[in-house]
Amino acid sequence: MSEPILELTGLNKSFGPVHVLHDVDFTVRAGEVTALVGDNGAGKSTLVKCVAGIHPMDSGAVHFNGERVAIAGPRDAADLGIEVVYQDLALADNLDIVQNMFLGRERGSGWLLDEAAMEQAARETLASLSVRTVKSVRTPVSSLSGGQRQTVAIAKAVLWESKVVLLDEPTAALGVAQTRQVLDLVRRLAEQGLGVVLISHNMADVFSVADRIATLYLGRMVAEVATRDVTHAQVVELITAGRSGDLGLARPESATV
Amino acid sequence: MTSTPTAGARPDEVRRHNRTALLRRLHVGGPCTRAALATELGLNRSTIKALVDGLAESGVVEERVPRARSGAGRPSLLVLPQPLAAVVLAVDIRVEQVAIALVGLGGQMLGRDSWNLRGRAAEPAEIITRIIESTRLLAEELDVRMIAGGVSVPGVVRRGDGYVHEAPNLKWTGVPLGDRLTAAFGVPVRVANDAEIAALAEHLRGAARGSLDAVYVSADVGVGGGVISDGATLRGTAGYVGELGHMVVNPDGRPCYCGSHGCWETEVGEIALCRALDLPEHSPRGMVVAELRALSAHPDQVRAALGDFTRWLTTGLITIVNVFGPELVVLGDLFTALPASLVTEVAAAVAERSLVSRAIGGTKIVTSTMGVDVKLVGAAELAFEPVLDMV
Repeated sequence: MSEPILELTGLNKSFGPVHVLHDVDFTVRAGEVTALVGDNGAGKSTLVKCVAGIHPMDSGAVHFNGERVAIAGPRDAADLGIEVVYQDLALADNLDIVQNMFLGRERGSGWLLDEAAMEQAARETLASLSVRTVKSVRTPVSSLSGGQRQTVAIAKAVLWESKVVLLDEPTAALGVAQTRQVLDLVRRLAEQGLGVVLISHNMADVFSVADRIATLYLGRMVAEVATRDVTHAQVVELITAGRSGDLGLARPESATV
Repeated sequence: MTSTPTAGARPDEVRRHNRTALLRRLHVGGPCTRAALATELGLNRSTIKALVDGLAESGVVEERVPRARSGAGRPSLLVLPQPLAAVVLAVDIRVEQVAIALVGLGGQMLGRDSWNLRGRAAEPAEIITRIIESTRLLAEELDVRMIAGGVSVPGVVRRGDGYVHEAPNLKWTGVPLGDRLTAAFGVPVRVANDAEIAALAEHLRGAARGSLDAVYVSADVGVGGGVISDGATLRGTAGYVGELGHMVVNPDGRPCYCGSHGCWETEVGEIALCRALDLPEHSPRGMVVAELRALSAHPDQVRAALGDFTRWLTTGLITIVNVFGPELVVLGDLFTALPASLVTEVAAAVAERSLVSRAIGGTKIVTSTMGVDVKLVGAAELAFEPVLDMV
């Protein structure tokens, strides 16, 4: 069994006097969907933004594929093959699907863009994910439904041969049927051997796709468990109280002061 | 149906047959010009015109002037099947997950859904309920009405009414799946063994297109196979065929749940691969794929890790080639993630050691290009088979 694709150890992050993440350990394995759950303000989005290089870490080590790396900015994360899909859909409305997928990384030489090659690559990527719901790759993004937009955003990660994809509440703004289609895509990403992190508040979503569940509680990682070993109720207890039976934080009376 | 000038000249049944043949050609082969249709189907140009006009009028196809012109003269019109004219439900029940898709005429997937099976969710009643609920939701969202359904099940299925006798990896016995779904949806739902369905998909749309004798072998948790013989699916009495995974290759091997010892499945199935790769049993599929990919980058380690696996894969394939004498063997599902060097090695060994392969000038062994969707595609084709003449 090989090393985890991404491993964070002892991550700390403060915003001024507010200590948001306390010694967080987090691992992502290739081919697995890891759900990152926690209450509002537990630090889920901060953790993702630290991995993506948007927030600098105060302390902690990052290992990628077993090697120690430093992530100083979004460019570093992208170079390693870490892609983030945000809940507010970072797509440009006035551009079409191909232009969005290649935004900032256009192909071509000098002044001339290689439109044909880009279109071809975009089409192949969507086909490899069995996305057959988008009619033409030249459709402007503004005319797509919420689910189709998320599909484009996720396909972008595959096009760039990312190794790890972090999805920050990808289904928060979607209806039931569209949510299911996006989750279906999330599962197929993992089946292709990518490491996938899914942030979600929806327990049904988490249980239907995740292989492992990592729970944050007030900035601490209280449990990383296999989905098959836990129940809905246990995960909800972990989210709200930080412990459930033997899982999570130690009971106060046995904790050292 | 409107009557056309040629309708009187031919008996109605012949016209209906031609119409179905034309629709099947468009459905499987995709858009095509009228001229090419006439050549391929061996029909008169005016017959084709009458048929296409009829189909266009009922909205099943659309005609368009082709973009690229070939040669002089008036270009032949391109005939395109319209996906929304006929929509079917495809369901792929696997050991660890269920996937559904609504598929339009021409094979376009209009929408899809899938979910993991854990604990209680793997019970037949739960699965059937969720399939019905998800399908209704998806059909509502897409605003389509389906006309038939096809289901792939990893087990022994009675063809006539879709009764699942035994699906050992799902722990099912005696589930009237076909009847239940047919009653729930009010449209015909056909059920078949997963390997047979995958073979159908490969034959119609995948690597085995155009090949009359082919065998499809796939590995999930279980190993199964489907046989295309002389252009048709080999079925056996009442449709019970295809348990290639339970061919005994190693009489001293591990016990198999089927009651036998050393079945092929216990040596080349997903669990055997996990063992060879040092992964815990029942690891998520993606992890096995990631591990195999990582291994592909180091060809020198392939033999050390997968030496035994390669030997058993070769042994089984030699028997299969000797028994069925196919011109092509397609390896599917988890086998598609195997390192290319391993597949080449196995193919070479089979070509050398199988006398049937030598006799027919070398059976080709390739990996499927359809990925994990192969069974969904096949299930859709299973559903389309009996209904194309009703569109």
